[in-house]
Amino acid sequence: MRIEKCWFCSSTIYPGHGIQFVRNDAKIFRFCRSKCHKNFKMKRNPRKVKWTKAYRRLHGKDMTQDSTFEFERRRNRPERYDRNVTENTLKAIKTIDKVRSRREAKHIERRKKGKEAQQTREAVKELEQSISLVKAPAVLRVDPSLTLPKIMVKVSQGQESQQRMEE
Amino acid sequence: MRTVLKVVDNSGAKKVMCIQALKGKKGARLGDTIVASVKEAHPNGKVKKGKVVYGVVVRAAMQRGRCDGSEVKFDDNAVVLVDKQGQPIGTRVFGPVPHELRKKKHVKILTLAGHIA
Repeated sequence: MRIEKCWFCSSTIYPGHGIQFVRNDAKIFRFCRSKCHKNFKMKRNPRKVKWTKAYRRLHGKDMTQDSTFEFERRRNRPERYDRNVTENTLKAIKTIDKVRSRREAKHIERRKKGKEAQQTREAVKELEQSISLVKAPAVLRVDPSLTLPKIMVKVSQGQESQQRMEE
Repeated sequence: MRTVLKVVDNSGAKKVMCIQALKGKKGARLGDTIVASVKEAHPNGKVKKGKVVYGVVVRAAMQRGRCDGSEVKFDDNAVVLVDKQGQPIGTRVFGPVPHELRKKKHVKILTLAGHIA
């Protein structure tokens, strides 16, 4: 018994699920469910379909390189049955899974968090540099109260001061 | 009945039309034997056009369930011509064949095959 991966979405296929399609060049495509099978028949490229693992790995949304992936490599040599080895393997599978999911969650967290800090930095810089688009530099020099505070960088503030100027 | 199948051995025939499915009221599936009439043949082959032959279905576009619960399907409908005893007429088989043939005792076809799906 072997647990396969779906060719389209890369999810695991347990025994009793899915369809295997054998092409005439003897390449076997396994699908976990008819959704993946139908997408394949439509000739969609999994690397372009957003919900597949292939897309996510390609676009850096999910972790690609990690030592925990080495444990899941396909091995073609059958192992002689040894009860201790089997027990240890089952325990190891659990811990490896926990480690891998923890690392994947970290990866996603890091990916989401990094953007905010960068965006605030960019916004502050833009405000400092391009304030002249909103107010003339001469006005800013004359009346320092009209200059915007350099800390909070909400664009709505700029609109507010623009309205004041119109008055 | 009337299904045109591709012949994937070197017996000389190219296309056969099924005229009877031996065993099974609903028709032959992957791994079953059929009686077929040769519709198209190579000019100098062992089998000529119009001959009535037996064949074993080695590829079917209809999925067949396996004993582990999964299903297999192939890209086309293909047949290997055999004689009355079940021995293949040709000496080579092209393309993948399923290992359902082992259960049906078509071991010779499996040995001739390039790939076993």
